[in-house]
Amino acid sequence: MHELGIVFEVIKVVDGFVKENKLTKVDKIVLEIGELSQAIPRFIEECYPAAVDETDYKETKLEIISLPANGECNICQEVYNIISNRKVCPKCDGQDFKLISGQEFNIKEIVAY
Amino acid sequence: MGEFKVFTIKKNINEDNKKVADETREYLKSHNTYLINVMSSPGSGKTSTLVATIEALKNEMNIGVIEADVDSDVDAEAVENAGARAVQMHTGGLCHLDATMTRAGIDQLEVEDLDLVFLENIGNLICPVGYDTGAMKNIAVLSVPEGDDKPLKYPKIFGKVDVLIVSKIDVMEHFDFEMERLKERVLKLNKDIKIIPISSKTGEGVEAWLNWIKEQVKGRS
Ligand SMILES: Nc1nc2c(ncn2[C@@H]2O[C@H](COP(=O)(O)OP(=O)(O)O)[C@@H](O)[C@H]2O)c(=O)[nH]1
Ligand SMILES: [Mg+2]
Repeated sequence: MHELGIVFEVIKVVDGFVKENKLTKVDKIVLEIGELSQAIPRFIEECYPAAVDETDYKETKLEIISLPANGECNICQEVYNIISNRKVCPKCDGQDFKLISGQEFNIKEIVAY
Repeated sequence: MGEFKVFTIKKNINEDNKKVADETREYLKSHNTYLINVMSSPGSGKTSTLVATIEALKNEMNIGVIEADVDSDVDAEAVENAGARAVQMHTGGLCHLDATMTRAGIDQLEVEDLDLVFLENIGNLICPVGYDTGAMKNIAVLSVPEGDDKPLKYPKIFGKVDVLIVSKIDVMEHFDFEMERLKERVLKLNKDIKIIPISSKTGEGVEAWLNWIKEQVKGRS
């Protein structure tokens, strides 16, 4: 599955950070996933336990913050969700927008000591 | 029990992948090895194209193949019999390779003495496109039976690759497939792409493909 490879990558990055900062235990990993990113939060959550099983992160919790696919209208500057509005500006009916969020896949932070 | 603190990481996973991919390219360059990432749907003719390529070029250069498409080693065996060194990755149901997995394949293959390495990516027209593997060039294989409307359905891959091999042209007469229509659709998505129609069965068109490969390998250092 697509998301499994992505979770392995997350664990790798977290593990690098943990070693670099000489941390001993990670309580939680917080991800930011855009609505237009390559990953679906529900699938990430589903494969996460399998990915961390038998690793140092077996007990680490996962939190996902979903970021909306927002565009800014190039005509009237209205900010709107391009998925629920099918790309059409709800204020002026324009279809010319600049994407301002939605493609992210970030590890926002970890809670650890 | 220590006290938990929040550590802000703000790390974009794709950027991390890009970093590993760039390191891979540097590493390959230092060994004068040229990596080509081959993507397509399952069964479109990746392995057959590689076998024809290896047989034709093995006396001119050392070729390696990283096989990731299937979990058994039939493809790895086929390219080895043709004269390449091969490793089989066990991707267990994954749908794409990222830079880290590719690097593992490269390290396992030991590329120091190789001039050219092909990565046979996992058969899928969607997921592999989003990941830089560390290859110098990306190519796609589209077979005639898949239809000339594929660029309309999967625009991303056609928009990204450097070369499109149109494979199995020997069976063209049995399908409603028009090369000109395909070319028009593909060029609309990617004006710099090189389209090479071939048949690994009859050998038609293979020369043009081999010439492209030789140019890349010659210009690598
Ligand atoms: N007629 C014809 N069949 C081909 C050609 N190239 C590959 N095939 C057949 O297509 C099938 C899949 O080919 P393969 O190279 O294994 O595809 P892969 O899954 O993309 O590696 C095999 O049965 C091949 O014999 C070709 O040029 N002409
Ligand atoms: Mg194959």
